[in-house]
Amino acid sequence: MSTIYQAKSIRTMDPHQPHATHLAVKDGHILAVGTGADVADWQSAWGPLELNTDFAERTLLPGFIEGHAHMMEGLLWDYHYVGYYDREGPDGTIWPGLKSIDDVVAHLKQIQETRDDPSEPLIAWGFDPIYFEGRRMTANDLDSISAACPVAVLHASLHILNANNFIMDAADVKNADNSEFIRRDTRGKPTGEFLGQLGMYMAMRTTNLDLLAAASSPKTLQTFSQVARQTGVTTCTDLANPVPEGAEVAMRETVEKDSFPMRLVVAYQGNSRPPEESVARMQALQDKQSDKLRFSLVKFVADGSIQGFSARLKWPHYYNGAPNGLWYIEPDRLREYLKAFTAAGFQCHVHTNGDECTEVTLDAIEDALRAHPWPDHRHTLQHCQMASRAHFKRMKNLGVGVNLFSNHLYYWGDEHRAITMGPERAGRLDDAGGCLEEGVPLAIHSDAPVTALAPLFTAWCAVNRLSSSGVTLGGESEKISLEQALYAITMGAAYSLRLDTEIGSLEVGKRADIAILADDPIEVGAAGLKDISVIGTMVDGHVHLNKGRDA
Amino acid sequence: MSQSPPIGSAPKVSLTIIAGFLGSGKTSLLNHLLTQSQGRKITALVNDFGALNIDSELIEAQHGNQVSLTNGCICCSIGDDLMRSLADIMRQDPLPDHLIIEASGVADPTRIAAYAAVDPQLRLDGIVTLVDAAAHALHAQDPYLADNYHKQIEAGHMLLLSKPDLVEAHQLETLEAELRANYPTTPQARVRNGHLPIEVVLGLQAKEQVQTAPPLTPQIEAHGLKSWSGHLPDNLSRNALADKIISLAPHVLRAKGVLADAQGAYALHYAGGRIHFENLDVTPSGHFVLIGKPELPNAETLSTLFQPARA
Ligand SMILES: [Zn+2]
Repeated sequence: MSTIYQAKSIRTMDPHQPHATHLAVKDGHILAVGTGADVADWQSAWGPLELNTDFAERTLLPGFIEGHAHMMEGLLWDYHYVGYYDREGPDGTIWPGLKSIDDVVAHLKQIQETRDDPSEPLIAWGFDPIYFEGRRMTANDLDSISAACPVAVLHASLHILNANNFIMDAADVKNADNSEFIRRDTRGKPTGEFLGQLGMYMAMRTTNLDLLAAASSPKTLQTFSQVARQTGVTTCTDLANPVPEGAEVAMRETVEKDSFPMRLVVAYQGNSRPPEESVARMQALQDKQSDKLRFSLVKFVADGSIQGFSARLKWPHYYNGAPNGLWYIEPDRLREYLKAFTAAGFQCHVHTNGDECTEVTLDAIEDALRAHPWPDHRHTLQHCQMASRAHFKRMKNLGVGVNLFSNHLYYWGDEHRAITMGPERAGRLDDAGGCLEEGVPLAIHSDAPVTALAPLFTAWCAVNRLSSSGVTLGGESEKISLEQALYAITMGAAYSLRLDTEIGSLEVGKRADIAILADDPIEVGAAGLKDISVIGTMVDGHVHLNKGRDA
Repeated sequence: MSQSPPIGSAPKVSLTIIAGFLGSGKTSLLNHLLTQSQGRKITALVNDFGALNIDSELIEAQHGNQVSLTNGCICCSIGDDLMRSLADIMRQDPLPDHLIIEASGVADPTRIAAYAAVDPQLRLDGIVTLVDAAAHALHAQDPYLADNYHKQIEAGHMLLLSKPDLVEAHQLETLEAELRANYPTTPQARVRNGHLPIEVVLGLQAKEQVQTAPPLTPQIEAHGLKSWSGHLPDNLSRNALADKIISLAPHVLRAKGVLADAQGAYALHYAGGRIHFENLDVTPSGHFVLIGKPELPNAETLSTLFQPARA
């Protein structure tokens, strides 16, 4: 049966017809878009069509597209959220932000007292001490939750972990080895804070628990899709995944179900195998795709993060004098990989945080394109937080797109002003305005689970450029308009994933992927964008209503 | 691969990290080590199978990212999965004697070394950094990688100068002098096509073998290196012994002993400026072995130094 959905407002993102109130869906696709006046014509041409008024007071937008997230978001909800900001779980529960170390400890204590088996490892995530003045969390804090079972708290960055003494004793943390990755107090005693992947390793070794093993299990996928649905996302990426042999089949079984509320674009981790073998693996994945599961991108991570001081920056490097960051892949090897995948005709997305890394990556892309010209390659720089106007001009000339990490402006904006970049360079952080003015295709993202998956919030960040303390980063030239931001989280992201002929706008022939909102973002305006309630989504015409909302 | 019991007092795995830029000879060195394992069970965690030219006679089986060898296994981990690969290896039963991690060309080897500090079953033997003699000038001034290059050299407990045959003798000497000036306590050795005695890179044989006979191979002399071994008196404290070894740096590449002092029995491992003591509950043989450069003092001087009671 085909259906006409009547809405209060439909923002189509189609310049031909930006605003509508009625939309007809047939076989998972959009049959017609218009107003009440068009319905009679549609009935005579395509009828009979059933009129559905469930969303008559709602606003419909193209389903949001998250162009940079990680499936790990789905895994972390198996553990306990202890972040500073409120965060919505897959079931619609709002987990209130915890505003002090004591709050975190008290919250976990309560969980410890009520859980079935208090001897099991207790794992929490999302902790972010940059908002707490003064002291840092210690092993003693966590011992007060329990000293008789492993207690571990993973930080929001995913690159620091706090452990209790139970874990440290089991790991026999050696005092003698003066590793800079183990934080110590003034007397040289480890405080319980471990940097890099050290903490995660130690927790895995001492608990005999593979914290990451379930990373692509059906349950993780299911949770990931539920988080996406709660925020109006109908297509989400997993950036990146090495796709071990057979994983593609398991993923497809889960994703294919009509009840699975999301289209999943898996970016294959390009350097998970040597170049030739890696291209072959990507080729082998091509006929494993389906309408809802895509293996269409290749991803590389070229440097680290700015707040972790591991991004590669140009002179004068870090504002606080920290040494320049790390390459995660040799520039020569990146060049080799980009050449191999460009030759084979696969679109590449490269994580580049610092501006030095952005330059090196653009050099490598230019090299690849000289060797293997490809007019519509759409290679994309991910994060690309410190790109200058000159970099954007070069991207334009090379046909390279960008997906900016706009959520950083809010979550780490103050940190970037004060510590990592200084006020001047922090002003051009994630410069969406400059990007569009130079004519570079733009998407914006959350990098969930690093920050919460919520495209309307990401759009709000790009429009307002406010840090969490309320400081504006940069000026008007770095901001984008509300309309541009909504475009970035729909058509902009669709373009970056080469899916813009299928999704990203509500126009005839496209997939019926729709975000159902309580209010119209254009009427709400820039300031209230992040607070708009998401009622649910439609994916291929199947309605998925959110938990905790009245339809 | 069966699950090992929770970590505790199980035997220690020695960890060696091979660092160095792309093309600096890490793979050749690893190849050479795997073909002369001399009874050690070695697991190697490498960046790239393809480049390893594994002797087919050594291969028992291959599945996925793992090749089983008659004397150990090779696991491949590229991308950013080192942490999980390491955790998987450390869950193997039985554990290998020695784990070699080939760091990527841009890795900070101290980051990898740090895993040993939080794993009671891992003992860091050392970081071996390969310096490409032919490309040194280029790498030291690379606009994007120079800081990384110097960090790797600084992190090295031993510096191996590869491709010495590709540069003029005086250039090689200049490079060696430069490294010596900047890193005076870090020993250096030249390595051609990966050929270096396994004792130099991985340390001397397992402790059982040190107890019985000093494992000196004629290879050591063949490589232009020097070795000395002897029985040490048990009135020599471990700290005094450490001072004596350090007084010979940077000419000492390796030392190992299964010894006793007033505190009890212990094994001593020395690699490039780092001394590690491990308490033992065996009766020590008192044997001590030293491998070093030709500049080491002669045997007579060494016995005066280490065996004062007998001198
Ligand atoms: Zn990411």
